[in-house]
Amino acid sequence: MKRKVVLCLAALAVIVGAAALGVTGWMVFQPGPYAFATGKPVPLSAYQGPAPTGVPVELAGADPAMRGAYVAAMADCQACHTAPGGKPFAGGRAFVLPFGTIYTPNLTPDPETGIGNWTDAQFLNAVHRGVAPDGSHYYPAFPYPSYTMLSDEDVLAIKAHLFSLLPVKQANRPNTFGFPYNQRWLMAIWSALFNPDERFRPVPEQSPEWNRGAYLVEAAGHCGECHTPRNLMQALDQRAKFGGATAEGWTAYNISADKVSGIGDWSAEELAAYLSTGHAHGRGVASGPMGEAVELSLSQLTKADIGAIVTYLKSVPAVKGDLPALAGPAPATPQLAGLDNPVGKRIFEGNCASCHAWTGAGAAREEAQLTGVRAVNDPGGANVALMVLHGSGAPTPHRPHMPGFGNAYSNDEIAAVTNYVTARFGARSSTLTAADIAALREAN
Amino acid sequence: MSAISVNGRTYEINAAPDTPLLWVLRDELGLTGTKFGCGVAQCGVCTVHVDGIAVRSCQIPVGTVGQRVITTIEGIGETSAGARIQKAWLDLEVVQCGYCQPGQIMSAAALLTANPDPDDGAIDAAMSGNLCRCGTYVRIRQGIKHAARS
Repeated sequence: MKRKVVLCLAALAVIVGAAALGVTGWMVFQPGPYAFATGKPVPLSAYQGPAPTGVPVELAGADPAMRGAYVAAMADCQACHTAPGGKPFAGGRAFVLPFGTIYTPNLTPDPETGIGNWTDAQFLNAVHRGVAPDGSHYYPAFPYPSYTMLSDEDVLAIKAHLFSLLPVKQANRPNTFGFPYNQRWLMAIWSALFNPDERFRPVPEQSPEWNRGAYLVEAAGHCGECHTPRNLMQALDQRAKFGGATAEGWTAYNISADKVSGIGDWSAEELAAYLSTGHAHGRGVASGPMGEAVELSLSQLTKADIGAIVTYLKSVPAVKGDLPALAGPAPATPQLAGLDNPVGKRIFEGNCASCHAWTGAGAAREEAQLTGVRAVNDPGGANVALMVLHGSGAPTPHRPHMPGFGNAYSNDEIAAVTNYVTARFGARSSTLTAADIAALREAN
Repeated sequence: MSAISVNGRTYEINAAPDTPLLWVLRDELGLTGTKFGCGVAQCGVCTVHVDGIAVRSCQIPVGTVGQRVITTIEGIGETSAGARIQKAWLDLEVVQCGYCQPGQIMSAAALLTANPDPDDGAIDAAMSGNLCRCGTYVRIRQGIKHAARS
């Protein structure tokens, strides 16, 4: 009898162990970021085509300072390493994560508080392997599993650009992680599992444009860090590549080829316009973290580089999402009685209609169009609520600015107007409450 | 140097493309009937028509207007709806201090063109972006109905 129990327990332990191993293995052994592409990747040195790394051909003859600035813009270091209203690259921007708050460090060449004393080898080790000069490990909030694909030359071009900046004396703020997340040594294990520590490998069977796009999207632009969901161990789940995720409260939408939830029905021109200017006709305006990515990175890239990004994005296989199909234009004479949301209606009338128009088609400015925009057609409603709270800066010059209403209205009112807008102009109403808005205020 | 069409006339303008249309109308063309209120599209006093649609001229960069036709309070009396609204305003003495009224008349004229017989809900909706500190809202509603019947 006793032996039977022991045997059963042992069998159970084996099964549980195997299952745990299986789950871990499933998370660890997953396809690379562009394993979907037909062809056999080769080392950069063995690639015969035009270099997918570095600056584009037009800038090949430019002075090193300009080339360094371009590569730094490609990698969009500035967005995260600048606090709101702070000095560029001096760090201090807070990221509120489920484990605590983490603050980005100072990247200016100040010897005491910045990276002024770092050697080239130390900088490469940080960007490729996530290891600080003192041997401690960074958290993957720093997207080194993407940056590890950057060529040595490009990483050092970024370093040269950073070292050309004026030093800013600003001490780094420690993060507020509690146990066990404050155990940095655990990141060594995480890194061993999830950082391949391998430079970009071009795929000769794909076009030079595709390879350049893959480098810009995967290595430098690290788009997946926001747009790809994470698994239990916080690594990007490449099986659901570009299937959409959340960043600082904002929904980073599905950017796979799915026609409904993703960008499958966007034309190449629409994608290029959205990426380079922050707006495409009828597609809305890049706001929140995407607005920053456009302002500080994508709008700085050449037309050819934007074209390469579009070529690559269009090749990413569809990941099915659960977003509804976009609703068409809203009726000119809306059935207001059918929208039982007097608070939302009152706020929309008084604050929104003058720019967005009664039909949501936008009054005179095409950027103000609400109908057909993914965020408005998302029953989650987070991005609409965040736009109402914080407004939307103009990602590029001559683009309109939306003021934020976060200080003017209560959480109840902002939830009401968000639910009104999604119901009236979108596919399905959001059902946000004051508590949801409070959480969004916290996350941002 | 570019050109815009205002009240049936073409004007050459020097303003930079990102200058608000309101600035160009008032300062460059001398059409001061359109007023400045809040400057952030919240009060409605700067309302003009662009291709017949009521818009806030303080928020529209002049460079985005292109070939589209602008109508201001100086030209609205030439349209059927505008003439009827203006007459109704005089008949019912809608105005008190008058500062917001260019915007009120432009919004009301656009409403009447799009919807010849608006009910209270449609009037409240279309006029909701136009503030009046004197509180002439009741007479504005009556004025629009009066004009619709005329």
